[in-house]
Amino acid sequence: MPAKRGLITDTFKVVKRARTRDQKPPSPPESEPEIPVISERERDLQELKTFDLDWHFGPCIGISRLQRWERAALHGLDPPREIKELLQSNEDDPEYTQCLWRDYPL
Amino acid sequence: MFSDTVVQKESTLLGPPGPAEPVFERETLSYTSCCDRFQLGERSFNRQYAHIYAARLIQMRGVLEQRAQKMWGGPIPIRKLGDLKIGEQCVIVGTVFKHMELQPSILREISEEHNLLPQPPRAKYISQSDELILEDELQRIRLEGSIDTAMFVTGTVIAVKGAERNDGKFTVEDFCLSDLPEQPPRQRLESNRFVLLASGFSLGGTSADSMLGLQLLVDMVTGHLGDQGEQSSMASISRILLAGNLLSRNTQNKDSNKAKYLTKKTQAGSVEAVRLLDELLVQLVASVPVDVMPGQYDPTNYTLPQQPLHRCMFPLSNPYPTLQLVTNPYQACVDGVRFLGTSGQNICDIVKYSSMDDHLEVLERTLRQRHLAPTAPDTLGCYPFYQSDPFIVDVCPHVYFSGNAPCYQSKRITGPEGQDVLLVTIPEFSSTQTACLINLRTLECEQIRFSSFSTEDNEETEMNGNGLCCL
Repeated sequence: MPAKRGLITDTFKVVKRARTRDQKPPSPPESEPEIPVISERERDLQELKTFDLDWHFGPCIGISRLQRWERAALHGLDPPREIKELLQSNEDDPEYTQCLWRDYPL
Repeated sequence: MFSDTVVQKESTLLGPPGPAEPVFERETLSYTSCCDRFQLGERSFNRQYAHIYAARLIQMRGVLEQRAQKMWGGPIPIRKLGDLKIGEQCVIVGTVFKHMELQPSILREISEEHNLLPQPPRAKYISQSDELILEDELQRIRLEGSIDTAMFVTGTVIAVKGAERNDGKFTVEDFCLSDLPEQPPRQRLESNRFVLLASGFSLGGTSADSMLGLQLLVDMVTGHLGDQGEQSSMASISRILLAGNLLSRNTQNKDSNKAKYLTKKTQAGSVEAVRLLDELLVQLVASVPVDVMPGQYDPTNYTLPQQPLHRCMFPLSNPYPTLQLVTNPYQACVDGVRFLGTSGQNICDIVKYSSMDDHLEVLERTLRQRHLAPTAPDTLGCYPFYQSDPFIVDVCPHVYFSGNAPCYQSKRITGPEGQDVLLVTIPEFSSTQTACLINLRTLECEQIRFSSFSTEDNEETEMNGNGLCCL
């Protein structure tokens, strides 16, 4: 119950916290910015994944990437030639030749 | 008319045999079979049908966009479904999907919560509540407005003009089909040459009514009927095409519920029927080239494109090079005249899922849509193609036919660029005893009926002594 005609701040003084907005905590020492090292293989796989997900060339599940590339070339959709070179140079690697969802059954 | 080609010599039938037997040469025509696109090499069924629909849309989109430009003019933009703005008049191109309540659905059948019995087969699966939906590569939108839902079937690729409404449906003002493709010019022929088309022999069935008609047909074509005038005119028939259903429906063994010990020693009905067919064919191939197409009840695969019947089934006719076993959608170039046609499964399927009943009308519509079997993966069995859709008609034929129709019909249609096509629905021989004759020089078609008891009066021609009625 407040004192008669008194504010609570008469009893408890207002103490403002020190303004710390302008003061930042000390920053850690700056180190060299790290460039994430992506191997060439990962870059290739990323490019192939983009090719898989491009809707212009139709569905990708159930056929190999080379088959899909050839279908796109047949219908005049102009698929990038680098993809074909990538696929032809890595014929033995299923991660290259089969689509993104190769591990999932029909 | 074929009967006009009968050279009226004096009758040679009722007279003593002459010193020398005249021999009538049958002309051999140049023939190239273009059935390669329907031949399946190695078959892999590890694919979904999305590929064939995507290939269909990719192949037809260019053509439809051109037609739409020509029909509705430049200023109306062609949009993809993802770029539609509400209220803007535009043109969209896509595949039609018809949502039908009565369409048999396997999921509904096996769903236990509905407790439904399997639906009995109906003649037509359309109803008033059907809806048309247009799908493009990424989205789909419902179509309403001035478009006749009952006339379309799933799988047709069309272009529609209209605007999207606030509630997400597309109001159609007009639609356009891809119409006839380009047609290569046809060389003029000098003499009358005929091709005989027949289908639906239904051998091995329970009733043998059509055997007399069949034997009459064979005898007529091989020149064993009539006097010398008629025999010489038969020599102008240069090719025979049998469009499917050579075996009867009864030869299909449906008794899978019978115990194994009851069916062990019984022979399949089709064995005897194929033997009958072989005996019939050997008489024909000895004298004229024959193309044999498989049909719905023939011993080959069920899905379209049906592969040719195997040569080992015809030991008697096999040695003859005139026997050509061909695929079900059939394409060939006979003496410069392009033939394209099927055994009728595609037309019957469209009749079941649309309001059209007339086989000829459906045939014309499939040609104007440039697709042999639009219902193909949806309600008609189809091989899962992935690279391209082989049922798209990219070159316009001169003769377009379908077999096993309920009656004979033929029509000549013209295309927007001056294409001239003869449409023929070949009747089922077992019920109508009718075959068709196409004149390659004039592209006219007429029917020829082999009934032993004709109900109409025989006032047509003079060939009535054998019970042969030529119309």
